[in-house]
Amino acid sequence: MEYLLKNGYVVDPANKIDCERKDIAVKDGKIVESVDESKAKVIDVKDMLVMPGGVDLHSHIAGSKVNIGRLFRPEDHYKDYEVKKGVRRSGVGHSVPSIFTTGYRYATLGYTTVFEPATPPLKTVHTHDELNDIPILDKACFPLFGNNWFVMEYIRDGKLEECAAYIAWLMRSVKGYAIKVVDPGGVEAWKWGGTVQDFDQEVPRFGITPREIVRGLVKVNKMLGLPHPIHVHANQLGVPGNYKTTLRTLDAVKDLAAGDRPIIHLTHVQFNAYGGVDYLSLSSGADAVADYVNKNPHVTIDIGQVIFGDTTTMTADGPFEYKLFTLLRGKWANADVEVETGAGVVPITYSRSNYVHAVMWAIGLELALLIEDPWRVFITTDHPNGGPFTEYPRVFSWLMSKEARAKVLKKLPRLARARTNLKDIDREYTFYDLAISTRAATAKILGLSNKGHLGVGADADIAVYNINPKEVNPSKDYKTVRQAFAKAYLTMKDGEIVAKEGEIVSAPVGRTYWVNTKAPQDIEDAVIPEVKRLFEDYYTIRYENYYIPESYLACSAPIQPLEPAG
Amino acid sequence: MFSAYTATRACGVKVIMVELKLKMKGQSVAPIEGEMLTPDNLAKKSFNEILNLETWRGNRLVKLSEVFTVEGESTSNPSDLHLIIEGDLRKVRHIGAHMSAGKITINGPVGTFVGFEMSGGTIVVNGDADAFLGMGMSGGMIEVNGNAGDAVGSGYWGTRCGMRGGLIVIKGNAGAELGCWMKDGTIKVGGNADVFAGVRMQGGTIFVAGNVGAKLGAAMTNGKIVVLGNVPSILPSFNIDEIRANTKVDGEKVQGPFYVFYGDITEGGNGKLFISVPKNAHLKYREAYLL
Amino acid sequence: MKVINAVLCPGCGSLCDDNEVYVEDNKIVKVRTDCAISTSKFLNFNKDRNTTPLIRVDGELKPTTLEAAIERVARILVEAEYPLIYGWSLTSCEAQKKGVELAEEVGGVIDNTTTVCHGPSILGVQDFGEPTCSLGEVRARADLIIYWGCNPSSAHTRHMKRYSSLSKGRFRLPEQRKVVVVDVRKTPTARNANLFIQVKPNQDYELMAALKMMLQNEEIEEQEVAGVPVEQIEELAELMRSCEFGVLFFGLGLTMSEGKERNIDGAITLVRELNRWTKFAIMPMRGHYNVTGANKVFTWQTGYPYAVDFSRGYPRYEPGDTTAVDVLSRGYNDATLVVASDPVANLPKDAVKHLCSKPLAVIDPHISLTAFMADVVIPCAFVGIEEGGTAYRMDGVGMILKKVVEPPEGILPDTQILDLILKRVRELKGGR
Ligand SMILES: [Zn+2]
Repeated sequence: MEYLLKNGYVVDPANKIDCERKDIAVKDGKIVESVDESKAKVIDVKDMLVMPGGVDLHSHIAGSKVNIGRLFRPEDHYKDYEVKKGVRRSGVGHSVPSIFTTGYRYATLGYTTVFEPATPPLKTVHTHDELNDIPILDKACFPLFGNNWFVMEYIRDGKLEECAAYIAWLMRSVKGYAIKVVDPGGVEAWKWGGTVQDFDQEVPRFGITPREIVRGLVKVNKMLGLPHPIHVHANQLGVPGNYKTTLRTLDAVKDLAAGDRPIIHLTHVQFNAYGGVDYLSLSSGADAVADYVNKNPHVTIDIGQVIFGDTTTMTADGPFEYKLFTLLRGKWANADVEVETGAGVVPITYSRSNYVHAVMWAIGLELALLIEDPWRVFITTDHPNGGPFTEYPRVFSWLMSKEARAKVLKKLPRLARARTNLKDIDREYTFYDLAISTRAATAKILGLSNKGHLGVGADADIAVYNINPKEVNPSKDYKTVRQAFAKAYLTMKDGEIVAKEGEIVSAPVGRTYWVNTKAPQDIEDAVIPEVKRLFEDYYTIRYENYYIPESYLACSAPIQPLEPAG
Repeated sequence: MFSAYTATRACGVKVIMVELKLKMKGQSVAPIEGEMLTPDNLAKKSFNEILNLETWRGNRLVKLSEVFTVEGESTSNPSDLHLIIEGDLRKVRHIGAHMSAGKITINGPVGTFVGFEMSGGTIVVNGDADAFLGMGMSGGMIEVNGNAGDAVGSGYWGTRCGMRGGLIVIKGNAGAELGCWMKDGTIKVGGNADVFAGVRMQGGTIFVAGNVGAKLGAAMTNGKIVVLGNVPSILPSFNIDEIRANTKVDGEKVQGPFYVFYGDITEGGNGKLFISVPKNAHLKYREAYLL
Repeated sequence: MKVINAVLCPGCGSLCDDNEVYVEDNKIVKVRTDCAISTSKFLNFNKDRNTTPLIRVDGELKPTTLEAAIERVARILVEAEYPLIYGWSLTSCEAQKKGVELAEEVGGVIDNTTTVCHGPSILGVQDFGEPTCSLGEVRARADLIIYWGCNPSSAHTRHMKRYSSLSKGRFRLPEQRKVVVVDVRKTPTARNANLFIQVKPNQDYELMAALKMMLQNEEIEEQEVAGVPVEQIEELAELMRSCEFGVLFFGLGLTMSEGKERNIDGAITLVRELNRWTKFAIMPMRGHYNVTGANKVFTWQTGYPYAVDFSRGYPRYEPGDTTAVDVLSRGYNDATLVVASDPVANLPKDAVKHLCSKPLAVIDPHISLTAFMADVVIPCAFVGIEEGGTAYRMDGVGMILKKVVEPPEGILPDTQILDLILKRVRELKGGR
C-alpha cells in the first residue's frame, strides 16, 4: 500500500524540519522520497500537525507486576471499558488497562513504540506473553540486573568480563533490550526485610555497594555495545532529600563517559528529586538535578510526571512500595523474585490538596522545563506510577503553556507553591521541543534508527494531529492542544493506518525488539558452564527452561549490538 | 423496632405518584439486565419510547416490550414516578441501579444487585432478593419484605468501601457478609443474619432482630452492630467494654440489656457490638473481664 | 530410545520442570522423577483415551466427524443467549487465550476452575493485595514455613523437597527451617512438622484474629480459641514474629471453610502485620497445573482473573453472579462449553443438574464424567505431553511446556479445535 499525506505541517526534529508544509510519501511500510500519486492513496491533512509516531521509553504496560495491578484492582476497570467493535477487541481501562486496550489507547494518542522498562528475567515468559498480545505497537522489555546475585558477585570480585558474558547470555536468552537497574542492592536487602540506606552502604551478605553495582553495569553496558545506556531507577526513591543520592549516582559514573554519548539514563526522576528532610519539609530538588544534567552530557532523564487522580504505583523497588503501603495502609502487593529482583504494587490517589503530591507535580514539570536540551529530557508519567499514559496530552499542555500551569498552581497548597520553582519558570515547549522529547530523542537514546523521524527509509510510523501549528498558540490555546493530542486524526504504523480520530481501523502485530548480545567466545565458554552449575543451586527451574526461543515472540526483531565505544 | 422505618415511609413517600407497571412476560433462561429500570431512566419518556427501550437478555438486545407488558404512564419528574415491576424476577439483575429518585416496587422474587450504587429514592421488594442488594448504595432506601442474599450493602470488588448512606430494611433473613465494608447508613434485619455480619465495617449501623452467625463484626474499624438474638461466639479480637441497659438505633431506643464489645482490636477498631444479654448466657464468662 | 530432559510435569501447580522422559516409538516408557503424581501422569495419560469425536443422537453418544462436531459446537454457541465457557486449568495459555476470544465472540461467560478452588484467594487479594514471592525465595531464605489448610505431602508431592521445607537453599538448609502445620486434622504433612496446631473446623479466622492480637500484644479474653489453647497460639505468634523469613502456604482448607474470602482476608492481613516484625510472604497452593495461567491470561486480556461476562460485548466481573457455579445454580446459561475440566465431577449438585439440562459440549483428551453427559465431545491432544504451550507455576513463573510424543492420528490440540470453532462461529454469525 502506498500513501501520500499531503499538505500537513511536518515537525521532524531529527531531520531539522520545524513546521514546514511538506508531503510525506509512504510505501511498503517505509517513508519514501515520493510515490506515484495516481496509485497511492492520497490523504489530505491540510494544515494539520504531522509528526513521527510517539516513542515511549518507559511505560509499565506488560508483565507480572502490571498484571498484579490489573488483577487486584477491579475497581480501577469496571467503569472504564471498551466494547468489542470491528477489529477492536474489548477490554478495560483505566490506570492498568487490559492488554488490547493498552495498544489501542497508545495508538489513539499517536504513539507507535512503547518499551516496558522492567522485567524480572525469570518472569520474562510472562512479559513476552503480554507484549505478544499488545496490538499495533512495537515494543521491548528491559531485564532487571541491579540486584542479581551473579551480577553483584562478578562485580564485587572484579570480574567485569565475566559479568558482561553473563549479561550477554541472559539478554539473548530472555530476549531483552537494555540493562535495567532498580534500587541497586536495595531490593536484595529488602528480601530480608531491610533496605540500603546509602549509596555507599554494603548490600547484606554480598559485600558490594550500590555505587559499585552502577559503575560496574555502566562498564558492562559499554563492553556489550548495547544500544541503550543503562536505565537506572536510583536508590532512595520517594525519600525526602533524595536528590543528593541522585546527584551522587550520576556523578559516580561521570568519569566513565567518553565524548558526548550519554552513558546513563535516569528514569522517572521526579520521584528522585526531593529536597527537605521529611515529608513536612519536602521541597523541590529539581533545580539541582537539572543544573547537573545541563552541565553533564553523559546523562539523560525522563520525568515521571504526576497527574492528580487515582492510579497504581508499581515497581521492582519492593522496599519503596512497602514504605508507601505503611503510609497509605490500603492494598499492597509484593512479589520478590529469586536471585534477581522484586516487585511491589500499591494503588494511590494523588490529590491536589495534598502538600506532598502538589510538590511532586511541580517537580516533574520543573525538570522538563529547567533541563535546557530536550534531547536529554523525555516526557513520561512512568505509567502508571505518576498517572496513566492516557494523560500525556495534559502534560504536553502544561509544558507548552505557562498559563495552563498557573491554573493548576493556583489550586495547590500555598506552601507547595512556595517550596517549588515552577511559578517562576517562563519557558514553554514548542511543538518542535515536544516532538524531540516524545519522539526523536527517545528513539535516538534507544538506538532505534528507523524510529522517531520521518526521513526517507524510516519506518512509516506517523501521527497526524488535527491542529494547525502555525495558527494555534499553545500558550493560550492549551485546551486545543490537549484535545488534539488526545485523539490523533490519524495514526500510521509501518505504513498502515491503525487509528483514525479515535477509532481503531486495523490492529497489526507489532515487533518485539531484543538485542542479540554476545561476549567474546572464550569468556562465554568459561562463564556459561559456571552459570549453569550455580543455576541449579539458585533457581527453582531448570537452566534449559530459562531460555525463551525467538519463535516465542509474535514478531521478533533482533538488533545487533553497536560497536563497543572506545 | 420497625417503627423508624414506618415513619420514613409515611412521610418520605409522596401520596400521588404516577404509576408505570411492568409485568414480566413468561420466563427467561438468560439473565435480563434491569439497570435501566429506574425512575431516572424512564421519566420524561413517552409510553412508546419505553416500549422500545432496549435491554439485554443474555447477549441479545431486546425491546423492553419483549420482556415486559407495560401499563400506565410516565412523568417528567423521576421523583414522581412509581415503577411497579411484577412477576418472577429472579433472573433480572441490577434493577434500580444508579437510581436517584422516585420509587420502585418489585412484586415477586428478584435477582442480584437490586439498587446497585443507588443514591436516592425508594425500592420495595415484596418477595426475596438475591445477593448484593444495595451494593455501593450511597442514599435512598430499600425495603425487602422477604429474605435477602449475601453481601447486602457491600461494595464493588476491590473498592474497599460498602454502602455509604441510606437505609436497607429486610423483614426476613439476610445472607453472609451483611454490610461488608459498610461506611455509613443503616441496615436493619428483622430475621437472622448469616456469618460475618458487619465484616470490615467502617461506620454506620447494623441492627439484627434475630440471630447472627459467627465472626460478627470481623475486622470492623468503626460503626455499631446491635443483635437482639443469639450470637454463637465473639471473636477474640473483641473485648468487653460494659453492660448497657439499652441503646439507640437511628435515634430509636432499643431495650437491652446488652453486652458491649469493642473492636476489632487488631484493626485498631472503634466498632461496637451490642449483644443481648438474656439471649447469650454463654457469653457470661466475658463479664469476668469487665473492669 | 529418546531421552527428553527438563520436561515440565502437567500434574499439579508445582509445575516441576526436572523430569526426564524416555520415549520409544512415540510412547513414554519411563519417567525419571520421585513423584507418584508425575509418574502416573506421564505413563497413564493415554488410558481411557477417546480418539473419536462424539455427538449425541437419540440420547446416545455416537461417533462423528471432527467437522460435524465442530459445526454442532459452533451452532450451540451461536444460538445461545448466555453460553458458559468453563474449565481451562488443565491446558495451555494459548488455549486459554482462544477461549477468551471465543467467549467474547459469542457473548458468553468465561470462567476457570478458580471458581471452585482459589476464587476466595483472589477476592482477598482484590481487597488487600498480597505480599508474596517466587518459590526460589522460600528455598533460599525461609526459616519458618507454615502450611495452613493444605497438605503438600499428598497434593503437591515434591513441593517440600524442591521449594519449601525440605529444600536446600543458598542461605538455608532444611534443618535450619521450622515447619508449622495448621489443619483440622493431623495430615501426613502435619506428622512431620515441628508444630502442629489443630484448629476446629470453620474457625481458622478466629485463630488468625487471636494471632494478630498476640502480635499486637493485646490481651485476649479467652482461654482457648478455635480449640487451640492460648499458650500454643502464643508459641506460634512468637515463632512467626522471631523468624527471619517466614512464609504461609495455604490451601482449600482455608479457602473453602466458612467465610471463604474472609479467611484469606484474615491470612493476608496477618502476613501484612508480620511484615512489621520480619519478612513474611503468603502463597496459595494452586492445584491444577495451569490454573494460575488461566488467571493471568484472563487478567491481562480482560482485566479480570475469572468469572468474566462478555454478554454485553465487554468484560464484566461480578463474582458471586458471573462465576460458573453461580451462573449454573441460578440457571442463567442456556449452553455450556467445557474445556480441560470435569465440572460434573467437581461442582455442586444443583449446578451440575442445570449444566446437564442444557446443550453441553466438551473438549477433553479423555471421556470425563462431563463428557459422558455431553451432547458433543471433541477429543484433543494432551497438553504438556502431546502438545506444548505456556503454563504458569503457582508462584507466577511462566514456563514453556514440552511436546514429548505425537498425539494419536487425527487428534488436534485444543487450541486448534477452538480456533476452528471460532472460525465457524464467525461464519455463522455473518455480519451480526
Ligand atoms: Zn518505571
